[in-house]
Amino acid sequence: MVLGKLTNFRRINHVFLSLLVSVVTLSASAAPRKPLDDTEVLEHLPGRAGDASSRELAAMRAAMTSAADNPGPAAELAQRYFDLAMARGDPRYVGYAEAVIARFSDPLPASLRLIRGLLRQYRHDFDGALTDFAKALELDPDFAAAHAWRGAIYLVQADYVAAQGECDALQKIGRKTLFGACIGLVQAYGGKLEAAYRSLQQALADTRDNDNRLWLLTRLGEVAAWRGQPALAEGHYREALALGRDDGYLLAAWGDFLLDSGRPAEVIKQLAGWEASDSLLLRLAEAEAALKLPGAARLAQMLDDRFAAAKLRGDTTHRAEEARYRLRLRGDPAEAVRLAAENYRVQREPRDARILLEAAIAAKDVAAARTVQDWLRSSGFEDAHLRRLGQELCKGASPCGAPLPAVRAASPAGVPR
Amino acid sequence: MMMRRCLFCLCGLLLLLSLPVLAHKASDSYLVLEVKGKEVSGQWDVALRDIDFALALDRDGNGEITWGELRARHADIDAWALGRLALQRGGTCTLQVADHLVDSHTDGSYAVLQLTGACPAAVGDLTLNYRLLFDLDALHRGLLRLSLDGTTQTAVLSPDRAEQRFVAGEVSRLSAFGQYLVEGIWHIWIGFDHILFLLSLLLPAVLVHEVGRWRGVAKFREALVEVLWVVTAFTVAHSITLSLAALGLISLPSRLVESAIAASVVLAAANNLKPLVEHRRWMVAFGFGLIHGFGFASVLAELGLPQETLVVSLLGFNLGVEIGQLAIVAVFLPVAFALRATPFYRRGVFVGGSLVTLLIALIWLIERAFDLKLISA
Repeated sequence: MVLGKLTNFRRINHVFLSLLVSVVTLSASAAPRKPLDDTEVLEHLPGRAGDASSRELAAMRAAMTSAADNPGPAAELAQRYFDLAMARGDPRYVGYAEAVIARFSDPLPASLRLIRGLLRQYRHDFDGALTDFAKALELDPDFAAAHAWRGAIYLVQADYVAAQGECDALQKIGRKTLFGACIGLVQAYGGKLEAAYRSLQQALADTRDNDNRLWLLTRLGEVAAWRGQPALAEGHYREALALGRDDGYLLAAWGDFLLDSGRPAEVIKQLAGWEASDSLLLRLAEAEAALKLPGAARLAQMLDDRFAAAKLRGDTTHRAEEARYRLRLRGDPAEAVRLAAENYRVQREPRDARILLEAAIAAKDVAAARTVQDWLRSSGFEDAHLRRLGQELCKGASPCGAPLPAVRAASPAGVPR
Repeated sequence: MMMRRCLFCLCGLLLLLSLPVLAHKASDSYLVLEVKGKEVSGQWDVALRDIDFALALDRDGNGEITWGELRARHADIDAWALGRLALQRGGTCTLQVADHLVDSHTDGSYAVLQLTGACPAAVGDLTLNYRLLFDLDALHRGLLRLSLDGTTQTAVLSPDRAEQRFVAGEVSRLSAFGQYLVEGIWHIWIGFDHILFLLSLLLPAVLVHEVGRWRGVAKFREALVEVLWVVTAFTVAHSITLSLAALGLISLPSRLVESAIAASVVLAAANNLKPLVEHRRWMVAFGFGLIHGFGFASVLAELGLPQETLVVSLLGFNLGVEIGQLAIVAVFLPVAFALRATPFYRRGVFVGGSLVTLLIALIWLIERAFDLKLISA
C-alpha cells in the first residue's frame, strides 16, 4: 500500500508539472472545457433582453437584406452601427458597418461613400477617408456631413487653413450649428480660445438636438479648461452629462479634466462599469494609481492585455493611449516617447501634443517633441498648461529654437494671423 | 460560525475582485493548427458573440447563450466554420470537427472547435484560405499559429490577406534551438529517475564522512565545489551518450537502458546509507551519466529531431537539460546547506530520503528488468 503510493510519485509529479505548465502557458485564457449543464449561461449578449436597440437593429438588418440593391437601408444600418461603436466604445460595430458597406461595389453612392470615409478615419486611414469624402462631395456638393467630417480630419492633421475651407462651405449651405462647431474648433486649435468659446456657444444656442448639444457642451468644457476656467468647464461637462447619453468622448474628456484637477476619486465614481472601453479603462487605472488603491495593478494589467491583444492583430490606433499608459502607469518614458511620436505623425490634436510633450520631458528627449514645439509656435495654441510643458522641455536645452511667445490668455481678440 | 461566514464573504469579495471585466475588442478568432506530413490537427476558438451574429444562437431571445443553445447548433456551426476555412497541401485537405468545447478570452466566451483532417501530400507548401465572418464583420481577424512539420509560424488573416501560403522546410535555426531548449528543461523535470539520481549524489554534498560519522561541511564553498564536480561530470557524460545515440551512432535496447538507470539510482542511494565511494563522487556521476544519456536520447527520439536543424536542436536539448538541472541545484543547495547541521537534515532528509529513494528505485528496477507492472499505475 505504502509502496504503491511511493511509486505513484512519478505520476503525481507528472500531473503536478502538467498543471504548472497549463497555468503558465494558458494564463491568458482558461483551459477549454465541456460544460455539463445545458442551462449553463456561457455568454451575455450586448444589449439587454428586450432592448429596443437590438430589436431596432434586427429590423434594420432585415430591411437591408430584403432591399439588396438599395443603398438607403444599408447606409442607415451602417450609420447606426457606427453610432453604437462611438457610444459604447465597442469596435465590433465598426466591423459590422464596414461589412455592410462592402456588400456594394464601386462606384458607391454619396451616402455610402460618406460612411466608408467615417470608418476609414476610425482606422486612422485619413487619406482613404479624404478620398471618400471628396468623391461624396463630387456627387453631392452640398453634402454637409462630408464637409463636417473632412473638416474634422483636417483639424486632426493640424491643417487649419483647409479646415477653415470646410467651415466656410458649411456656412454657405446654411448649416449654422455645424458651422459653429467647425469654426469653433478651428479657432480653438489655431490659438483663438476666446473667439472659439463664443462660436461654440452661439452654435449651442442655435440647436435643440441633444446629440449636438452634448458634443458642443463637451467642446465648450475643453475650451474653458484650456482658458484656465475650471469652474466654467465643470459646468459645461456637468450639463453634458445631465443629458444622460452614453458618450465615450465626453466621459474621457471629463475624466481627464478631473484627473488634471486632482480629483481621481470622482473619476472612479463616474467611470465605474466602463472598464470595457480601453480609453476609459486608462482613465480609471490612472485614478486608482493616483489614489494608490489596491486595484490599480489589476487595471494596469488589464490595459497591458488589451494593448497586447491589439498588437496581435496589428492594430495601431491606440498609440496615444498606450503612450499615456507607458508614461503614467509603467514609468517607461522611452517607450512612451516612441509611441507618442508615432501617434503624432498621424494625429495632431492638442491631446496628442500634450502626451508627446509630457513623455519627451520625462525622457529628456527634446528632439522628439520638436514637431509639437513647431506647432505651438505656428498655431499660437493658448492652453497655459501645454505652453508651460513646452517651456519646461526647453529649459536647459539650447537647440529648442526661437523662444515661445508668452501666454496670451488675457488677450481679448486673440492673435491676429 | 461567525468565522466561517466571514471567510465566506472574504472569498466572495476576492471572487468579485478577480472576475474579469470583459473588454470591448474587435473580433478575433484564434486558430491553432498543426500540420505534420499529411496529418492535420488543431483548435479553433470563435467568439460566441460572433457566432450568434452570424447564426443567431440565442433562440429564446433572452440575451443569453446557454450551453444547450450552443450544443443544439453544433452541426450548423461546423458547416458554417469549415465552409470558411480551406487548407491545401498537394490538393485540398479534409477537415472535421472532432469535439466541441468552450473557453473564455478577454472579451467573453468562445466556442472551441477541435479539428482533425488529412492532406493529400505529406510534403510541400501549405496554402490556407480563411473567410470566417468577413462578410459580416470587415474588422474580424483570424489569428493563426501554424506548426508546419515542427516549425511554428504566425499570421494575421484579414479580408485583404485571406489566403496565405506557408513555405515548408524553412526551419528557423533559432526557433528550433529555442523549442528544443524548452523540451530539454521539461524532460529533466518530468524525468523523476534522473532527478532522484542527481539528488542522491547531491544530498551528501553538504556533509563530510569522517570516522564512520557524518558532519556538516564548514564552508558553502566546499559544498559548491563538490556539487559543481558532480553536476559537470553528469552533464559531460550524458551529453556524450545523448549525442551519440541521437545521431544514430550507438543504439541500446531501451529496457536495458531503463533498468540500468533504475540500478544507478539504487546504487547512488545505497552509497549514502553505507558509503563505499566517498570522495570521488563525480566519477560515479560520470559513469552513470553515460547511461542516463541513453535515457534522454529515447525521449528525444520520441520528439523527433528535424534533420534540417539536427545539430542546433541537439545542442538546444542538451542545454535545456543543463538549465533544468541547474535550477534544481539552485533550489536544493542553499536549503541543504542551511539545514546541514540539523538532525532533520541528517536523519530525516539524508538517511530517510536516501532510504525512500532506494525503495522506489528498487521497485523501478524490478519492474523494468522483468517488464512487470508491480504496483505503480
